[in-house]
Order: sequence, then C-alpha cells, then structure tokens
Amino acid sequence: MTAQQTGVTFETRDRDYEGHLLEIDDLHVEFRTPYGIVNAVNGISYTLDPGETLAILGESGSGKSVSAQAIMGIIDSPPGFVTKGSIRYKGRDLLKLPESERRKVRGREISMIFQDALTALNPVFTVGFQIGEMFRVHRGMSKRDAKQKAIELMDRVRIPSAKDRVNDYPHQFSGGMRQRVMIAMALSLDPDILIADEPTTALDVTVQAQIMELLDDLQSETGMGLILITHDLGVVADVSDRLAVMYAGEIVETGDVYEIYGNPAHPYTEGLMASIPRIDQKGEELNPIKGAPPNLMRIPPGCPFHPRCPYARKRCVEEIPPLYEVDANRRSACHFWHEVISAERPTHG
Amino acid sequence: MTDRRGTAPEPGSSPFEEGIELPGLEEPEEESRGRGPSLSGPDSSGAGAQVTAAAGDAPIQQASLWGDAWRQLRRNPFFIMPVVLLLVFTVMAVAPQLFTSGDPYDCNLTNNIVDGQLLIRGPSDGHPFGFDVQGCDYFTRVIYGARVSLSIGLMTVFFAAVIAVTLGALSGFYGGWLDGVVARVADIVFAIPLTLGGIIVLNTLGERSLWKVSLALLLFIWPTTMRLMRSSVLSVKEMDYVAAARALGGSDWRIIRRHILPNGMAPVIVYSTITVGIIIATEATLSFLGVGLQLPAVSWGLMISGAQFRILEYPHLLFFPASFLVLLVFSFILLGDALRDALDPRLR
Repeated sequence: MTAQQTGVTFETRDRDYEGHLLEIDDLHVEFRTPYGIVNAVNGISYTLDPGETLAILGESGSGKSVSAQAIMGIIDSPPGFVTKGSIRYKGRDLLKLPESERRKVRGREISMIFQDALTALNPVFTVGFQIGEMFRVHRGMSKRDAKQKAIELMDRVRIPSAKDRVNDYPHQFSGGMRQRVMIAMALSLDPDILIADEPTTALDVTVQAQIMELLDDLQSETGMGLILITHDLGVVADVSDRLAVMYAGEIVETGDVYEIYGNPAHPYTEGLMASIPRIDQKGEELNPIKGAPPNLMRIPPGCPFHPRCPYARKRCVEEIPPLYEVDANRRSACHFWHEVISAERPTHG
Repeated sequence: MTDRRGTAPEPGSSPFEEGIELPGLEEPEEESRGRGPSLSGPDSSGAGAQVTAAAGDAPIQQASLWGDAWRQLRRNPFFIMPVVLLLVFTVMAVAPQLFTSGDPYDCNLTNNIVDGQLLIRGPSDGHPFGFDVQGCDYFTRVIYGARVSLSIGLMTVFFAAVIAVTLGALSGFYGGWLDGVVARVADIVFAIPLTLGGIIVLNTLGERSLWKVSLALLLFIWPTTMRLMRSSVLSVKEMDYVAAARALGGSDWRIIRRHILPNGMAPVIVYSTITVGIIIATEATLSFLGVGLQLPAVSWGLMISGAQFRILEYPHLLFFPASFLVLLVFSFILLGDALRDALDPRLR
C-alpha cells in the first residue's frame, strides 16, 4: 500500500487485508546503558483485531510501555534498540519501514495517548490550536476550518461548551478534560489502532470511569482496535476483551479478562489478584507479592518469576517456561499452571 | 500536578502503587486552575466562569506564558522605566534631529576661545553640554552617539541570538556528533575573554567600521547564548508533549518549531536583553582603548576616550557621554531582569 492510498482511508477505511490488524511477533527491546544492557522486552507476541480491546497489565518496569513505544517507533535510539521480532500492521512490518514512512503511520494509522495529559500538551498553545494543527498539517486545512474541526472533535469527546473552551490553554483544563483533549488529538486522523498508555492513572476514580467509558464508546463508533496499558486491575475489567499480563518483559498469561480474574493460571497473576485490597478484608493485612521485580539487567535464569513464586521448584530455575496452552484462547507461562489453576483460593469480588 | 509513575516499586511494597482506590475522594470534574481575578463577585471573569459551561457570556481570562508575563510586566515599574528610556534612546538613534538642530561634524575651534585663550568650553547658554576638544557642540555629538551604541548592541546580539538558537536547538535536539562538535567549538570560544578577544581581532583588521566591531564581538558572545539554548532544549525535549507530538506523526522540523522553540526561548530572550547592555559597554571599552571605532565616527566610547587626559580639568567631557552610556546599559539590564522575573513562573 502506498502512502497516498493510506491517506484516503480516512474516508473509506479498507478492511480487505488478510489476517490481523496488528501482529506482534517475538518482539525484543533492549536499552544499552553505561551500566549494562537492560532487557526491557523479551520476546512478546500478540495480535489485535479491529474493534478489539487488548489490555496489557503489568507493574512498573514490566515492559508494557516500552512495547507500546516500540509499536509507535518513538523509542529514543540510542539507548533503546528493537533487536528482534516484527510488528506487522495490516501485514506490513513497521520495523522494516524507513523513518519517513513510519512517521506517516503515526497519528494516521496508529495513535497513542499518554498517562499525564498535562505534560503531554504543549503549554504555550491553546487546545484548539493543538487539535487543529493535526488537520492543518495532515489534511492541509485552513486555520478556520481546522478550528471548526477542533470544536467538533471536542464535542465528540464530550468536552462541555467546546466552542467557548477551544481558545483555552491546557492548564485551564482539569485532568479529565485534558485527557479528553489528548484523546481528541489522537483520534483526529481516525486511526485504526489507539494505544492508551495508562490513560487514567493520573485521574480521580470517578473521572477514570468517565474516560474509560468515553474510550469504549469511541471504539464502538469507529471500530478501532484499542491497546490499553495499565497497572490498575480495576480499569481493565469492564472494557477489555482480552488481557495480557506482563512480567519482566514477557507475557506470562493471556486470555479472557473474566476467566483470568476468576481463575488465574499463572502464580504472578494469582499474586496480583490476591494483592487487591478488598472491602471484606478490613483490618486484615494486605497480601503483596513477596520480594521485588527483577533487575532487568540480570533477569533470573529459568522462569523470571521463580524467586518470588510460591510454586517454584528446581525445574523453574533450569528451564524457561514456554507459553503453555491452557485452553483455546488462554496461555500461561508456568510449568505448573495445572496446579495454579486448580488451587483453592478465596473468590474475588 | 498529578502523580507520575515511578520507575520501580520499593522492595517489599505492593507492586501496584495506585491499586487502592478509595471512593468518596472525588473532586468536582471541572477544577479551576485559571490564574484569573478573584472568584468573588457575580460577574467574575476568572476560572469560576469556566466551571459552569452555561455561564459562557463572561469573558474568559486568557492565560499563557506570554499572556501572564505581559500582565505582570505592565504593572512593574522596573519594566516601564527601562522601556520608556529605551524608547527615548531609540528615537534619539533613529532621528537625532528631533533632539538637536546642530551637526555633529560642525566643529569650530573658535568656539573654545575664551578671553583670547584656547580652552575647552564647558556648559553654557545654547550649549548645555559645552564643547569638545575640537570645538564641536558636545550635546549634538552625545545625541548622535546613541545611534552607534544602540545599533552595535542590537545588531550584534540579534545575529548572536540567531546563531545561538539555531546551533543550540539543533545540537540539543539531535545530540550525537553534531552536539559534540558544536559544544567543543563553543567551549573553546567561551574560554576567550570578550574584551581580549575583541582587542585581538580588531587589531588585525585595518579599518574598523561599525560592522567590523559588531562582527568581532559577535565572534565571542554566541557561545553563552548557545549553551543556554541547548540546555533549555535538552529539558524541553524530554517533555511528554514532544513524545506525544511524535506519536501523532509530527516531523522533527515541526516538533522543533512548535514545541522546542516556543518552550525553550524564554531564557535566551532574557539573557540576550542583558547582553545588549554588555555589548554596548564593551564597544565603549574597545573604543576607549583605541581598538574600537575610529574617528570620525561619533561614539560615546570615543568621546570618553578623548576625555581621558582631561578629566580633572574638563569633567564635562567624561560626564555626559558616560551618563548616557550608563543609562542605556542600565536600561537593558533592568529590562532583562524584569523579563526574567516575568517569564519564570517560579519567581512570581
């Protein structure tokens, strides 16, 4: 597909490609620092289809944001390098495209929103100007038309009285409204995929729910694929179709959100579920996962989770677990997933 | 400001920093952050008006870096004063005829003959600043001297800023070998004192015009501004909005123009304003030392130079050009300080 054709898909989005919308295969990302090589992403694979929401869950440093940046191609290089694997968007390997072609994919085909919308907006321009710039640059619209489009988009992401607020600066908006502005910018060119990197982490609980609802609605309207990166289990449950749990740069469990929540098949997921504070647990101690995540310069041999794992035994130290097939659409990277999935545990709320 | 995600949790802590969500802590969705006037009063135009979308009639106070700076500046006497002075000096430089009907080159030694003796006449009727050694009207010459000082100051700093911003933005943004080369060259030039460098360069040039003096000073002042710009770019480059612009398909050129420059220029503007004063003083120094402008140019530095062996006898030869020089330099430094206070939100 040439760049010109790509531009036209704004009006008539083509769905006639074969296979998945996005297909990540054995992606490796490393950061070469003066202190050693940080293995941030170690061979993750997943797919995304139109209209699907994939949640990537993991704690800080698990590689979830880095893998998203690798898809966007915005990893600072050096020190960051994609060393292996492929990122196929509609069959094209993005990693093999020259930078100029890659840039055309960003914003138009795959777009991204960030955690902290205040710092992700330029403080010296009005939000209307910043949204409008997407249209001026990519669609060659006049200033006046672009502003009109900006107001339309602000309405679409439900910013109240968009017309009056189009000339306001980012810091005049509340956190939730800023995130809406960011979403408006990200969706301005009608991308096929939206990557949301912790879109609600910086927001209040009620606002979190509103933003998630907005993303959900916009997804139904546009049929885009959504990759939702989060460390918040609560955010994931309602909107996601599929869940991928990451640990130390690897996907340790994937599957249907409710199945995983109901019955984890990996000790790490199990630990995460157990560590959520629950209302009926008042006065009791919380159950954190013991120990700390591994240093990504020295990932433990075998299963990276074994030093913290209650199920660990000799095999876990010696042998890297593959992604075992638990059932048709469920995978777990644990040698002893049978034990984990059949373990007795209190039910989660 | 909102919490940022840490790099890694503390050992032993819960892996999810924000896993616990307590209900009942929510704040109103629209939280005002405007820096507008007080919220009291029914028709307050500040942030209060933005809260309710329905109250759309009230004019909303715009707030931006430059907008806020301007609001602060126009109330600041230390901004008003230098601006007024600089306006006067600018008019003096552009149209000296408005201040004096005399000709700076209309000199007549007979003006200095008092009681049959050749002296240097001090201030007198019709000649408020007196005469110089050649019998020229000193007021006229001092007025005409503003043009040289102001044009050397502004011209030098303008070109230095252009060089500094270009090199600083490019080397800060791209880094790598370009940054290495630019930074080393700047370090070497930076090590040469401005006056010394100026003396050496100007000594090797034969005839020294305004352009050449300006060029000589330009050679030695760009590194400081460049380093300022570069460090400013380095900090702006790491901002999330640069990453966001990239993720939305912005080109390098657009990111530099829209994000890096507008957010990184403030320190350069402040420093450059102060530098104009420094350059004007340095030009006067070089002219005084005899390596700056040459007669018959009309310059305050040359006038002070001409006064140097007669200061005790004829103090007016030093006093008038030196006062104007000090006032002009002082104005630029004051203006720079006011700009710095206004553009750095932390000093508000």
